[in-house]
Amino acid sequence: MTAALSRFLRTDWFGPLAIIVAASIGISVFDPSFLSPFNIQILLLAASVNCVIAMSQMVIIAIGQMNLAIGAIGGLSAICFAGLMQVWGFPPVLAAAAGLAIGVAAGLINGYLIARTGISAFIITLASLSIFKGADLGITRAQPFYGIPASVKAFGNTTIIGAVPWLALPAALVVAGMWYLLYRQRIGRYILAVGGNANAAELSGVSIARTVISAHAISGFLAALAGIMLVARLQLGQPSIGDDWLILSFAAPVIGGAALSGGHVSVFGTLFGVVIVAIITQALVIFRIDPYFVEVVLGLLILWAVGVNRLREVKFQNLASTA
Amino acid sequence: MLSLEARGIQKAFPGVLALQDVTLTMRGGSIHALLGENGAGKSTLIKIITGVYRPDDGELRLNGEAVRFEGPRDAIAAGVGVVHQERNLIPRFSVGENILLERLGGGLLRPIDYDAIHAEARRWLEVLELDLDPRTPVSQLNVAKVQLVEIAKALSLRSRVLLLDEPTASLTPQEAEVLFRLLRKLRDEGASLLFVSHKLEEVQQICDEVTVLRDGRNACPSRPMAGLGRQDLVRLMIGRNEQIPDWAPSDHSHAETMLALKNVSTVLGHAKIDLTVRQGEIVGLYGLVGAGRTELAKCILGLYPLTVGEIEIAGRPERIASVADAIHRCGIGYISEDRKQEGLILAHTVLENAGITVWRKLAGRFGLLRDEAVRAHVSPVIAQLEVRTPSLAQIVGNLSGGNQQKISVAKWLAAGVRILIVDEPSVGIDIKTKAYIHELLRHLADQGTAILLITSDMPEMITVADRIVVMDDYRIKGELENSRRYSEMSEGIMALIHARDAA
Amino acid sequence: MNAPTPIESSQAASDAKGARGAIAWTEIRAPARLVLTNEFGLILLIAIFGAIFALGTPGFGSQFNLFTLGRTTAIDIMIGFSMMVVIVTGGLNLSVGAIGVCAAMAMGWLLERVGLPVPLSIAGALALGGALGAVNGALIVRSGLHSFIITLATMSVFFGVMVFISRAQAFRNLPPEISAFGRMRIEGYVSPLLIVSIVVGLGLMALYRLTPLGRDMLAAGAKVAAAELSGVRVGRIFVICHILSGILAGIAAIMVVARTGAAIPSMAGDLGQDWLLPAFLGPVLGGTALAGGRVSVLGAFLGSVLVSELTNGLLQYRIGEFWVQTWLGLLLLLAVLMDLARRSLLARMGSLTR
Repeated sequence: MTAALSRFLRTDWFGPLAIIVAASIGISVFDPSFLSPFNIQILLLAASVNCVIAMSQMVIIAIGQMNLAIGAIGGLSAICFAGLMQVWGFPPVLAAAAGLAIGVAAGLINGYLIARTGISAFIITLASLSIFKGADLGITRAQPFYGIPASVKAFGNTTIIGAVPWLALPAALVVAGMWYLLYRQRIGRYILAVGGNANAAELSGVSIARTVISAHAISGFLAALAGIMLVARLQLGQPSIGDDWLILSFAAPVIGGAALSGGHVSVFGTLFGVVIVAIITQALVIFRIDPYFVEVVLGLLILWAVGVNRLREVKFQNLASTA
Repeated sequence: MLSLEARGIQKAFPGVLALQDVTLTMRGGSIHALLGENGAGKSTLIKIITGVYRPDDGELRLNGEAVRFEGPRDAIAAGVGVVHQERNLIPRFSVGENILLERLGGGLLRPIDYDAIHAEARRWLEVLELDLDPRTPVSQLNVAKVQLVEIAKALSLRSRVLLLDEPTASLTPQEAEVLFRLLRKLRDEGASLLFVSHKLEEVQQICDEVTVLRDGRNACPSRPMAGLGRQDLVRLMIGRNEQIPDWAPSDHSHAETMLALKNVSTVLGHAKIDLTVRQGEIVGLYGLVGAGRTELAKCILGLYPLTVGEIEIAGRPERIASVADAIHRCGIGYISEDRKQEGLILAHTVLENAGITVWRKLAGRFGLLRDEAVRAHVSPVIAQLEVRTPSLAQIVGNLSGGNQQKISVAKWLAAGVRILIVDEPSVGIDIKTKAYIHELLRHLADQGTAILLITSDMPEMITVADRIVVMDDYRIKGELENSRRYSEMSEGIMALIHARDAA
Repeated sequence: MNAPTPIESSQAASDAKGARGAIAWTEIRAPARLVLTNEFGLILLIAIFGAIFALGTPGFGSQFNLFTLGRTTAIDIMIGFSMMVVIVTGGLNLSVGAIGVCAAMAMGWLLERVGLPVPLSIAGALALGGALGAVNGALIVRSGLHSFIITLATMSVFFGVMVFISRAQAFRNLPPEISAFGRMRIEGYVSPLLIVSIVVGLGLMALYRLTPLGRDMLAAGAKVAAAELSGVRVGRIFVICHILSGILAGIAAIMVVARTGAAIPSMAGDLGQDWLLPAFLGPVLGGTALAGGRVSVLGAFLGSVLVSELTNGLLQYRIGEFWVQTWLGLLLLLAVLMDLARRSLLARMGSLTR
């Protein structure tokens, strides 16, 4: 029994899951409506979009880099999605496909520049953040697109069954897809290999360039998907979509045990990290704490989580050197 | 049987001609030694043979047929495997996944079959007589096992040509023996092995044939090892005979004790360390890789705390709180074994590297410091050490290994330290500079510096040290006065290392 | 000769044994060396674009525009400096905007609510900037974590606490001296803010060239392990760098207050992230490497000047103000690509440049 328990304790997702359970119980004691179907629906709506955002950054953390342009890519894809439907009358599916294609293209550009020039991902994605954000503002002239078809609005705000909203479906598919990719597919293993020891991976014949480009393409796709999902939920194409994604995109993977140096992420840890953030945001509202405090909490959460991860990594290294 | 020939290889990098008209001929079913000093071109040649680099001129032939490798994958596919000097596995992946990293399989709709992968990996581990669960994460293995896993990986790629770059650098003698048994077995089965090592004793023990490189060219063509003694090999490597200086033993028992460790235990695991170094004395600290000597040096320097005991500097107990404290207050200097990461700032100039210890001392009024002041202080030292550099503004990374090492010594001379800890000073240094450094250490000692010399190079230890302290597994095993008679000393040292702890 | 692959280029430096057969940097004649430097290239670009804009648009060369441009440039220069001092030690400070806004709001509070005289309020603001920087530095050194994630988190915490305390209310009733300083013109063209930036720049140049502290910073930034083992107190150095960064961010924010006449919480955007692009553009264009250990104060200065000039010029041409950010992003990209090309050219000539 204790052997199984210690194995659980060593995983990345157990801690966050325990926190979720404890927090949920704790909060519902104060406010029983916390666990009501209506509230759960709200939580799931928020978590669904944030989950895709977090996965978008997670795949880049896996490769040992950082993607500052996630919000900008998401925002650009979002307004293109909305704009194509409103201005040119595209059917939603086609507009969504175009939006996703834009996300993939943006990711490919980022990945290509990073792989071929050797310039740090930080600078490249800082530059592309500005380029895409500028394009976002330039196209919309800072005005939202209001003409969202009813079907899209419904997708973003209604439920499939019980408290589970439609938006949770793409999110669930993304989680399953990421797990499958990183643990059962060659390209996912190569992403983790390059993040873990790029030199060793290369000497084994893994193409670093192709792996980096693939990771960024996936990240761009997911960012675009999150943007499109957000348009559905907000019911308009806001140019400001993506402005506040940066902190969140790092918080969840880090709470989930990701190593920022690369090579180690946890899909379920990240998912639970997203849920924790959603619960905390909700709790702040319930306890009538100033909503401005969310930022502070997120920042503190990151500090705490990286601190914990660091301790685990130090223990992990000590284990290796004394073996 | 697979033979490999590299013929007329030429390779240049910006500013440097690494290889010129180099030829290497490996026969199937033999263990071939590749010798040469650091900078002779061995690493570059290996990287060309394994497809990491492409030669500017010349060709590679496998079994007589010309081949061209565009990348490591081509070389692997052609049957050329390599175990590099640095460890090259993915730490968080399992042993099995690392071994089969190129062949994970699985398509878009087919998941990777890990059971099959680990079963296949087990086969290769068994060939090496490695009793290891392939699901173990590599991060949990020690260096020797990691190396053996890398060999298993090279074998699993059906390499008929296997290159090993400094394979015994991190192995104990017992582990090296296991490796040699394996290499002989592979040779007998027809594989062609290339063995690169600095340890001439090992090379003579296990290799059938040899090629020597010097300054990017062949010092000798590929030939059988028979008939070549140690001096012959050394002469080929450096172009002249090795000169072992003949220094008379000197008596330092009346000199002041500069550094004393009394019953020291540290957080890193040292226990009951007693060590003294007197003024003018060179104390050698000998031990195998992993004995804890560098770690002890870092504790003396103040990087890690002591748990028990105390350190005395010039007779006074001192609590050394930090490296800056050790250097500026206690006058201790440390020449690191890792020159490129810890000893020097390769991107900075000679002036900046040599002056780094004395900036604060030289600062004048208002705490300001001009380059001229640093130059005035540092130039004499650089000149004294005969550092070959166009100017003090030369970037250190562009200098040769020997000159780089001289600069890492220069900064301590400039600082005027009383105690100098020298950690593996001759690694990657050509023999001429190595001899120079030995002379320099002797000279410094004669001028009164107390020197603690850490080295795993037995000949170096016996040449330079006045007294030899033997360390193993974070404990002191014993002490010997150096008679400078090689076989007597080396036997005494090995006896101390293998002696059982008195309970 | 085959073009080197990425592996080859990175390995070449470690495989290469000395400068055999190469041209040493010092062997190149001085005038040629000057032309190849980054700073000269920037001066050239500033001059060329200045000429293009002055001749091509009616408004660029006007006294009013040059004055406004000088004022904006001064602020961008300070923001750039504030990031530069951290980049030099190999780190990042994403919280420059957040710290700046906190300092500015602190000054506003001290002036409006507490009623302190202007010099004391400024001192208080700068002290807060330094203190927040010290928090960053201490967290980074204590945890051993990368400055990216620490300052990402503190950016959020600092800004959030500031918004919470201030209830997102601006201070608009500041003493008139503040905005008078912002509107002051010397000889009609030059804003005193620009003088402040120049003086600070000279101070930083002195720091890195003439003081042991500055040299320690460069050493710690180039190779932490080597610097530490040579007696540099690297922990203390990193904290000092972040304190300096906080103070410089505070100065930049106070300049913004002088220009706008009010202390507004949104002056640097959400979480202060509007400052990120100018913070990096100046130093990176100016040749301060992200890896640390090298600095060019003049370069950072000129880089910020060029960026401000281009932004101003583009607006004169009525290139939509929404697209300016895109142009700046492209400029950053171009700058790093050109720097890469320049450095590989010099490496082929046999030695790395400073």
